[in-house]
Amino acid sequence: MKRLASHVVALTLLAPPVLAQEDLTVGFAIAKSGWMEAYDTPAATAAMIRIEEINAAGGLLGRQIKVVEADTRTDRAESAKAGLDVLDQGAEMMVVSCDYDFGAPAALVAEGEGMNSFFLCAEDVKAGIQGVGPNSFSSSVLAPVQGATMAEWAHAKREARTAYVLEDTFIEYNKGICTGFNWMFPQLDGAQIVGSDTFKNDDASIASQITRIKELPEQPDVIMLCSFMPGAAAAVRQLRAAGINSLILNGSAVDGSYWLEATPDLSGFVVPVQGSIYGDDPRPEVEAFNKAYEAKTGSRPASQYAYPGYVLIDLWAKAVERAGTVEGAAVTAELEKMRDEPTAFGPRTFTSELHHQNTALMQIIEITGGKPARVDEWRISQPVPLDVLMKK
Amino acid sequence: MSLQLLFDALALGGIYAIAALGIALIFGVMRLVNFAHGQFIACAVFALIVPSTDALAVLGLGALPAPVLVPLILLIGAGLAVAAEALVFRPMRNASPVALMVGSFALGVALQNLLLVLYGGRPKAVSLWAELGQPVQVATASVPLLQLIVIAAVAVILAGLALMLRKSRLGLEMRAAAEDFTMARMLGVRSNRVISGAFALSGALAAVVALVLVAQTGVADVRMGGQIMLVAFIATVVGGMGSLSGGVAAGLGIGAASALLQAGLPADARPFRDAFLYGGVILVLLFRPQGLFAPVGAKPRV
Repeated sequence: MKRLASHVVALTLLAPPVLAQEDLTVGFAIAKSGWMEAYDTPAATAAMIRIEEINAAGGLLGRQIKVVEADTRTDRAESAKAGLDVLDQGAEMMVVSCDYDFGAPAALVAEGEGMNSFFLCAEDVKAGIQGVGPNSFSSSVLAPVQGATMAEWAHAKREARTAYVLEDTFIEYNKGICTGFNWMFPQLDGAQIVGSDTFKNDDASIASQITRIKELPEQPDVIMLCSFMPGAAAAVRQLRAAGINSLILNGSAVDGSYWLEATPDLSGFVVPVQGSIYGDDPRPEVEAFNKAYEAKTGSRPASQYAYPGYVLIDLWAKAVERAGTVEGAAVTAELEKMRDEPTAFGPRTFTSELHHQNTALMQIIEITGGKPARVDEWRISQPVPLDVLMKK
Repeated sequence: MSLQLLFDALALGGIYAIAALGIALIFGVMRLVNFAHGQFIACAVFALIVPSTDALAVLGLGALPAPVLVPLILLIGAGLAVAAEALVFRPMRNASPVALMVGSFALGVALQNLLLVLYGGRPKAVSLWAELGQPVQVATASVPLLQLIVIAAVAVILAGLALMLRKSRLGLEMRAAAEDFTMARMLGVRSNRVISGAFALSGALAAVVALVLVAQTGVADVRMGGQIMLVAFIATVVGGMGSLSGGVAAGLGIGAASALLQAGLPADARPFRDAFLYGGVILVLLFRPQGLFAPVGAKPRV
């Protein structure tokens, strides 16, 4: 501790002459290698797009935003080091890896400095006050909200009355989706969960689980599949091959058309997303972003997980403007005043209890004949309560 | 036990049995637990698609007709394993088993990172033989065609391998080498030939697992061989290190037990299926630490 203190003293002594006051530094402690890179890069690119927009419009508090980076290598221990690294490079706000497990070590470094941290796209309630501390945020939509959105939408728009829940127990995100669905669906008029089962993302076969569904006296109206890639694609392929034709509901994690080859001519597959990547979002800002992303990277976003990166910089910059400083506690106070703050991807709210979205306007994407298209939008009638979010 | 359950159990057990055989073959001839076997599987899967880090996968070899594709992928698997032997394990021939094992870990990590560089970290869709998923009615059970093919292929591969080990010269040499490698060499068995042969077979078996996995799941992921490799390794331990038939039997047993647990456990206990499964493995090892079918040669002799 003493050593750390002396480092901090050394840094504060060194910092003023090195750092010119003009630039405002944002540190990205994210995966630039390893398997997580595929998820972090799109959101980080989106964040850069917003930063460039802000810089082009004159910067933040009159200062240009400068970006420094460090690689977590998809490794929890390296994540903490990456956090320290961007701190050494003068970061005044930290953007950390998408996933809670890989982002939290870096976020804790930021928290220790009283600095704001934003997860690129974490959807677990722990990625905020509950797991990291009072200055940590995520701009994505909590996993249970995605599950609850699917429950209420399918009930209202597709007359779903019986549901079967198939949960992949591999990561917390999946459990969150099922938690939200299991909370919402039984509350709805005449709706009933007729069965549930579990599998693991890397199971070589889910034949036993399929046998159990086929043994039901009647096929369920919907199957809530709480999983992510690659297990989700494998499960869908096996379900459809076995002749189970129920509507399959999912979380946002399976958004994107890149995996659809796994089940040729897939139909009756629904995903809730923050914005449509398919060019059919009714909000022109979303398509404008898709075009900006394509101009920057050469291809359109592969899934909706680019969007939270754009939103987080947008919200943080607004809070900084209002607070007149980048100091963590002051910016946090401004962020916590946001109630349905408009963004390109729908309104966002932060409170002193929750630095996440416990309700959100979601676009409904349905895949028909192997083609994804936006068919509807939905916002759940009541926010997911904190005790449901916490007792996973 | 319903017929349906029997098919589910056999299909999963069959995949594990083939993977376990791939590990047991190499352990038999050079006392190496090849932890890169999972990456051999992943490499054989990725060989089907054109290298690119784009999200959308384009079928390369995978677009070839099955009669060309299957032998080609088996050859690629075998070639990769033989190359790994020549470049990594041959220079380490006289190293301790622990050093060999660490070497195989390193090879696995290197292969995985190679795949990450070539293909990116995002899982890819591979639509290989989607029509094999169609269910076929067998008496009271509705079984995907692929499951029947897997079960038949496992039977054919096991029979073929047993025949090869009993009747061919390479098989005789392999059995002799597995029994006592030094003695076999003294009697004129060429070690390089036997070891390369074992690696080639093992690599081809990894490719079989890869094809079955892809046809079943429709996805390619850099981490996909890991779980199978783990189960296969456990199967070779339970079966008795160095015993080929033991590894196969234990692989089948673990797969079948996994399917039975999934079907039989109450809903609340099902998320802990693997805990029950490996609890069973521990029980077996408590009573037979040398494995169920330990070969005589595996016992230390004074």
